[in-house]
Amino acid sequence: MSSNQDFATPTARARGLGSAKAGTEHHIRQRVSAIALIFLVPWFLFSVINAVQAGYDGAQDWVAQPWNAILLILTAGAAFYHMRLGMQVVIEDYIYTPGMKSALLILNSFASIALFVTVAVSVLKIWFTAGV
Amino acid sequence: MVQLTLPRNSKLVTGKTWPKPEGAAKLKKFKIYRYSPEEGGQPRWDTFWVDLTKCGPMVLDVLIYIKNNVDPSLAFRRSCREGVCGSCAMNIGGNNTIACTKGWDEVAGNTITIAPLPHLPVVRDLVPDLTNFYAQHAYVQPFLKTDTPEPEKEWKQSEDQRNELNGLYECILCASCSTSCPSYWWNGDKYLGPAALLQAYRWLIDSRDEATGERLDDLEDPFKLYRCHTIMNCAQVCPKGLNPAKAIAKIKHMMVERVS
Repeated sequence: MSSNQDFATPTARARGLGSAKAGTEHHIRQRVSAIALIFLVPWFLFSVINAVQAGYDGAQDWVAQPWNAILLILTAGAAFYHMRLGMQVVIEDYIYTPGMKSALLILNSFASIALFVTVAVSVLKIWFTAGV
Repeated sequence: MVQLTLPRNSKLVTGKTWPKPEGAAKLKKFKIYRYSPEEGGQPRWDTFWVDLTKCGPMVLDVLIYIKNNVDPSLAFRRSCREGVCGSCAMNIGGNNTIACTKGWDEVAGNTITIAPLPHLPVVRDLVPDLTNFYAQHAYVQPFLKTDTPEPEKEWKQSEDQRNELNGLYECILCASCSTSCPSYWWNGDKYLGPAALLQAYRWLIDSRDEATGERLDDLEDPFKLYRCHTIMNCAQVCPKGLNPAKAIAKIKHMMVERVS
């Protein structure tokens, strides 16, 4: 018998590290951000297609209107938050190597926050510098 | 990374083609997965020709015919042969089901492939190792748990309360659902799988049970419960027509109800 054989009982393996008593919050957040996106994404697609038809200046004017800017930032927030939660599940599903898994989970959070901040600051810059 | 291809020693090779029976009236080709740990080597597809006029209507009848008349070394589990025990679960024509209630005329194509349940260690031929599956079933403690002293006669339940268990108690633990679930394939060591979770729900909504909160505690986990991504393969393959995905969704509802 080799020394690396696993003698853990099936019960020990099925129990593993025990229940994390977590996951429901993640589940709720994913659903709530999805509900927000049901309203925001159609608005976003419809408006952006309309706005770009007016060319670069027209699009800039559209972003500079307060309601459009607010809704754009909300859309980006809901979308990147939902993406972060979804990507987390994908990484947990498919990546088993412990170090790689942690690294990707952290990268996922960093990338999602960076993307949101970039979009938000860009929109705010257009809004606040409009007509200056 | 998740294993998307079979390990080298599990890759299937072409095996033996058994001769066609002489004077057969109605021939059908069956490709059957064979693996013997004593012989070692690669698992293989053996080809059998069966005279359908000489055997019963079900795929299990075909397997019994082959074992009795062609190759006695073919290994498979079976017991009740009427869809009650769940022993003969296997992958027939690409779908997990139980061989005893699946008619060979229900499987499309000229060749019917028969393989063990997917993504489990193979003990021999069509016999998979279900040790982990049973341990996960035990984890959900599938029995009545009470603190109130036992009544003299019986734990009472109204007709409506009893009806809540319909569509759940019928599960025969054949493992067709769990082994058809991609999420169970990738994380079967941590995700409890549709069969165990259906049983967990069966005890969660039993009006007589007093351990609902503890049961929810034991399930609330990103892997044990929340690996279900509503892929729905479980409901599609269940030979008893049950819907484990719906039961899992209802467990998630109970979890949300508990915190909001």
